[in-house]
Amino acid sequence: MNTLKKITKNQLFIPLAALLILAMFNLIMDPGFFKITLGQNNMGNYVLSGYLITILDSGSELAILAIGMTLVTAASGGQDISVGAVIAIGGSAMLRVLCGNDPKPAQLHAPIIVAFLVSCIVCMLFGAFNGTLVAYFKIQPMVATLIMYTAGRSIAAWINNNTLPVISPTASPSFAYFGGFIPGIPIPTPVFIAIICMIIIALVLKFTNLGLYTQSVGINESSSKLNGLNPQAIKLLSFVILGLCVAVAALIKVSRIQTINYSVIAKDIEMDAILAVALGGNALSGGKFNMPASIIGAYVIQFLTTTLYKFKVQSDALPAYKAVVVILLVVLSAPVVREYLSGLKKKIKAGGKEVA
Amino acid sequence: MIKYKGIISVILTELILCVILTTGCGSTPVVLDNSVSGEEDDGRIVIGFSQLGAESDWRSANSESMRSTFTGEKGYRLIFEDGQQKQSNQMTAIRTFIQQEVDYIVLAPVTETGWENVLEEARKAGIPVILMDRMVDVEDSELYVCHVGSDFELEGAKACEWLKAYVEKKEIDESNLHIANIQGTLGSTAQIGRTKGLSDAAKKYGWDLIAEVPGDFIQAKGREAMEQLLSEYEDINVVYCENDNEAMGAIEAIEAAGRHTGTDIENGDIMIISFDGVNEDALSLVRNKKISCIAECNPDLAPKIETVIKQLEKGETPQKLSYVDEELYSSEEDVLSINAGGREYKVTVLR
Amino acid sequence: MKNKLKNMTDTNLLLTITIIVFFLMYIGAIVFQGKGFLKPQTFFNILNANAALIITSVGMSIVMITGGIDISVGGVVALVSMSCAVYLDYHDGNVFTSILIALGIGILFGLVQGYLVAYLDIQPFIVSLAGMFFARGMTTIVNSAPFNVANEKFIALKETRIVVPGMGSVNKKGVYVNAYVEIGVIVALLVVLIFFFVLRWTKLGRNFYAVGGNKQSALMLGINVKRTKFISHMICSTLAGIGGYVYFLHVGSGSASHASGMEMNAIASSIIGGTMLTGGVGNIIGTFFGVLSLSTIQNIVSSAGFDQAWWTGITIAAMLCIFLVIQSVVMARKNK
Repeated sequence: MNTLKKITKNQLFIPLAALLILAMFNLIMDPGFFKITLGQNNMGNYVLSGYLITILDSGSELAILAIGMTLVTAASGGQDISVGAVIAIGGSAMLRVLCGNDPKPAQLHAPIIVAFLVSCIVCMLFGAFNGTLVAYFKIQPMVATLIMYTAGRSIAAWINNNTLPVISPTASPSFAYFGGFIPGIPIPTPVFIAIICMIIIALVLKFTNLGLYTQSVGINESSSKLNGLNPQAIKLLSFVILGLCVAVAALIKVSRIQTINYSVIAKDIEMDAILAVALGGNALSGGKFNMPASIIGAYVIQFLTTTLYKFKVQSDALPAYKAVVVILLVVLSAPVVREYLSGLKKKIKAGGKEVA
Repeated sequence: MIKYKGIISVILTELILCVILTTGCGSTPVVLDNSVSGEEDDGRIVIGFSQLGAESDWRSANSESMRSTFTGEKGYRLIFEDGQQKQSNQMTAIRTFIQQEVDYIVLAPVTETGWENVLEEARKAGIPVILMDRMVDVEDSELYVCHVGSDFELEGAKACEWLKAYVEKKEIDESNLHIANIQGTLGSTAQIGRTKGLSDAAKKYGWDLIAEVPGDFIQAKGREAMEQLLSEYEDINVVYCENDNEAMGAIEAIEAAGRHTGTDIENGDIMIISFDGVNEDALSLVRNKKISCIAECNPDLAPKIETVIKQLEKGETPQKLSYVDEELYSSEEDVLSINAGGREYKVTVLR
Repeated sequence: MKNKLKNMTDTNLLLTITIIVFFLMYIGAIVFQGKGFLKPQTFFNILNANAALIITSVGMSIVMITGGIDISVGGVVALVSMSCAVYLDYHDGNVFTSILIALGIGILFGLVQGYLVAYLDIQPFIVSLAGMFFARGMTTIVNSAPFNVANEKFIALKETRIVVPGMGSVNKKGVYVNAYVEIGVIVALLVVLIFFFVLRWTKLGRNFYAVGGNKQSALMLGINVKRTKFISHMICSTLAGIGGYVYFLHVGSGSASHASGMEMNAIASSIIGGTMLTGGVGNIIGTFFGVLSLSTIQNIVSSAGFDQAWWTGITIAAMLCIFLVIQSVVMARKNK
């Protein structure tokens, strides 16, 4: 009984349980869901395909964003709703560097790594802008990032003068690798990128005080100040880190389609990222956080999305089903409901004893 | 309560100021309007252009056509408003044009219905409205001066006639055709016309039209629609995409699924038929034999509109409907001309 | 001056800033762009196009004053438009019932979201996020294709115009055209007035401020915090329902993409109007001017003939940024 309690008390319980339920559901409805096949794609490479691979593949951006979002949530007690818009900016900046003024270049104007670094710097700058408003002007994160949410896609369109640059495979065959497959490797590249990001953040959390500092700022700003921390700098840092995550996600997103659509790219991804953090059982009001839980939360959302796609739910109707699941999850994890449930359990137990 | 006094007095003064301001200009509109109009634009013809969005390459080419035709050097001032795919935005734009008292309004409507009100306002303000590309569905056709655009149904018919001619030439059994239609933005003139072109042909020739799914003229949606189609129907061998962007998306999806696009449908190819053909990308797809046939939709409508405006300036009445000439591109040499709508059309073979 | 600044409540100080900025902006528009902005109809057009936004923003402000947030309003507006459109067109319904449908949808969302937020103590952001997802998804499930309503009685109501006497202007051909507002504007103004009074002079209104300002002390004052929060969400969603119908009256069509981003515009209007997301501070008149400022800026940008759509987004964001910084700086100085 005690071990059971320990398990349910664990923060990883909810996202893992949700994952398990979804997996069970699919197993019952159609075991074919778990089939993974090795096939040849149009480039003649052997690649793995199957719903599970799709989940791992398309969940990558979300998982990467969830890392940054968790830190921001923990430090500032609020969320960044501009990540989707900043992805558009980062992607646009990257394409601008790669394509120059020519929307359909015959060859790249700069190496991909340079473009990626520029995009990183741009995204970190926008992160710093959000962070400054939050940390130094004391504006609530959601409101402060509302600015970039409104302007982001417009700025993205502005960077490329509203043209839609396309990187054709002839200009650079390797650009598509980041969102697709590297020849000879049957697993989609985004999976590797996500894993690298996870390893980095795990190392950072293990060997630096970032995690501790972020949490203490989130729990009590003034007391952490008294302990010699600089809460403002830490908040700013969390937004800059999120900016970096956004740049990585932008690289994958743009590489997937080798072009960009400012108004559609990464639409509503901020909502999913916040949801991932919440599903991971982290308090949206800041403070303590659990990184693995957030990342699993991201994959749960992707699992759900893919499951719904599989059942031929129209992409526009998808949010309605998502909403029902989200509400069920948050209601079940609400402290009030949990208390009530445990009270109920005790009652049943007591009742059982009386009968006996 | 004392501390409220200051603020209340501030609000009151502001409100009074507001009333004075609005009534003040309400009582003397005649003088103001007459003095301002004409002077500001030193005799230039001001054209308010409400473009519906920037969703496709066709649209961008069309906007470019307007910009390069109505230039300052030629004595025009073009006010460009992007409606971002929403009728309400376009209505707001037209109302803004009316406020600004432009000389002409050019409207490329996003949907066909619901325009009576705002067109009536334009008429009351004495501003002629020229429709471009898509049509509007109003009972009183006097609400607009004329419509300049493409005959979308004919485009659809041309594409279908090409397919008919091709399968006949190759002696492919027509009952083996399984056609899927990736439609454009539902309710738009192009979608209605092209869908009708296909469904008429399917009825006439007894083709198997297995599915119609919307793709909103967008590449990403085209890809999504195709992915869904491929997972649902195994036997698709012809995809009728209502514009090139959808076709590009569909090709991506088909290739990602490990299939090939082309004309050899008896051996597992999926044939792509598409519309627009405005840019090199789409045409090069024809050259690479990925798209089998494109019925052109000419985006260069602005010169025709300029003609209309010149006629109106002279006091003449322009033709109510004017269509632009359009071509047919193909990757195959087997069909060199087709007959649609009672006319012979040559097929331009791209190599 | 400094004394006066100190004596003002936070709410009133922010309100004054908003109103002054709005008038400066409008006068600026008249001076630099003349012509159009001098015509009263320009102003009325802004009202006509934004009546729905005014109504939803009022609801948003109330939720924000109690320290919550509701990002489902845009979705509710879209769902109301689509449901009413389908009912009127496909089922040949009557107009009165369609209004009841709109109200019903609003109240239903209010009940569920209010209950989850107030009594189950779930973060309002997550609850209304799910609400938004649900409403948007439902809209597509009700009908995925956008269409215009052809119901005659509805169109008659939609085209009802209230002539504002003495405000008309003369068109190019020298004919006098009356100035008008749509029915939605009257509804919006009524909503603004009613809730201005409710917030200022009723116990419920003061409870909203108390709960948003400090939950603990509100509890100590004997205020039923849960019920107050519940009512605030109830009001917000119901107003979203009413706003949805007004929006529907203005556009006359159902579409899944209707009112996209409206929740953010409502939040932005409330902020510009001096409502703070932390709760306890805000004013309905400010919100009203917030909407006007936001839409005037949009109108100025489009009249100025910047021929690219992105300018609107960037200017609104810049304005939001300036307001936030002004507010933050002024509040910081005052509270020193």
